[in-house]
Amino acid sequence: MPDHTSNGMQCHEFDSLLADAIDGILSGTQLEAFQAHARTCSACGPLLAEAEAGRNWLKELTEVEPPASLVTNILASTTGVDSQRLRVNVAAPPPQVSWLERVQAWISEGMQPVWATIRQPRFAMSFGMAFFSLSVALSMLGVKPADLRQISLRPAAIRHAYYNTEARVVRYYDNIRLVYQVQAAASRLKRNVTPAEPAPAKQKDHKNDTTEQPDQKQERNYSRTEDRLILACAPLGPSGSDLPVVSVTTYRRLV
Amino acid sequence: MLVRRCVAGDAAAWEEIVQTYNRRIYNICYRFAGSADDAQDLTQEVFIKMFRTLASYDHTKGAFVTWVTTITRNLLVDHFRKTKQDRMTDSIDAPVSAQEDAQPLSEQIQDQSAPPDAHVRSREVGETVHAALARLSPELREALILRDLQDFDYREIATVLKVPEGTVKSRINRGRAELARLLQRTYRQVM
Repeated sequence: MPDHTSNGMQCHEFDSLLADAIDGILSGTQLEAFQAHARTCSACGPLLAEAEAGRNWLKELTEVEPPASLVTNILASTTGVDSQRLRVNVAAPPPQVSWLERVQAWISEGMQPVWATIRQPRFAMSFGMAFFSLSVALSMLGVKPADLRQISLRPAAIRHAYYNTEARVVRYYDNIRLVYQVQAAASRLKRNVTPAEPAPAKQKDHKNDTTEQPDQKQERNYSRTEDRLILACAPLGPSGSDLPVVSVTTYRRLV
Repeated sequence: MLVRRCVAGDAAAWEEIVQTYNRRIYNICYRFAGSADDAQDLTQEVFIKMFRTLASYDHTKGAFVTWVTTITRNLLVDHFRKTKQDRMTDSIDAPVSAQEDAQPLSEQIQDQSAPPDAHVRSREVGETVHAALARLSPELREALILRDLQDFDYREIATVLKVPEGTVKSRINRGRAELARLLQRTYRQVM
């Protein structure tokens, strides 16, 4: 803007008063000097007209309506709650929470990671199999779920059930011991009553023997001469006829 | 005080702040950014930033509305700088006829031959002025929005823009004159 003086006012002074003049807050001699400068200055006159026109154009712009979801989105992105719920929370007094509910909430909060782990398919399958095995075992043992309901949890009843169970187990053990004792006595009696059997014949029937094995392997320490037995460690005399004759009688015990 | 209650964790106080200022902030963003989608995103960002920095507000340094508007303006300037590169790339890629000088505002608005009633005409004028405002430089645009659309006084605008009051007045004068020249050219071509 060319800075020259017109009617006692310079262009830069005119520029600084322009906004106030458009706002209508200039008065007195200051306003007269301003208007006179605008009339005579070729640069400032059109500037005043354009500035006024521009302000009038801007008056055409009305306020736009924000989207209906804007407030909800803002609240959701800042506090994490939507407006409707917040309004309900503000209107309603905070609910009374008992200590039991607080403990339950605390436990459930603490158990949440554990529960999330358990819910994995591999653990779920394992627990399923364990439950199935347990139910099969209980059914085989004759335990019915209906019986469990009748169990009394009073200390006296628990003590009574304990002693009963203990007595049953001891009786069962004793009964088993009695059975073995009876069996042992019966076998002893049978041994005593049954007579001793004759010794088996030395000459086996070779017709059916296909093994081609020698008959009496256990007598390796003895050498056989005809039908007489000779002790292997016995000193031999000058003639074979001096050998001592050993007779062996075997008593076999029949079992 | 509303801000103090909000800092203390009162969710209802924060909702009241949002209800009170969302319209003003949305309008500033809409007039500055030019599109409703950008305005909605920017308004949301302004409130998120406000929510995080609410404790830093000092009432002795200025009114709450000035503080809110300063946050809005800073965010708009950041947004303008971020999207400037995109706009430059778009203008290079765009055909010559789509560039600023090649396409007057009269071609961007609807057909003038149809006899519009007062409401339609007012809406069309509003769209024309809105498009002209978007063509001003950001410095002139923000000054005009704060003064002529949001009715801030010069001292508040100087605080928000962090420039002297004289500079504010000068920007407003130049902005109004530039806007009038743009619209005068537009309507001369339409006529």
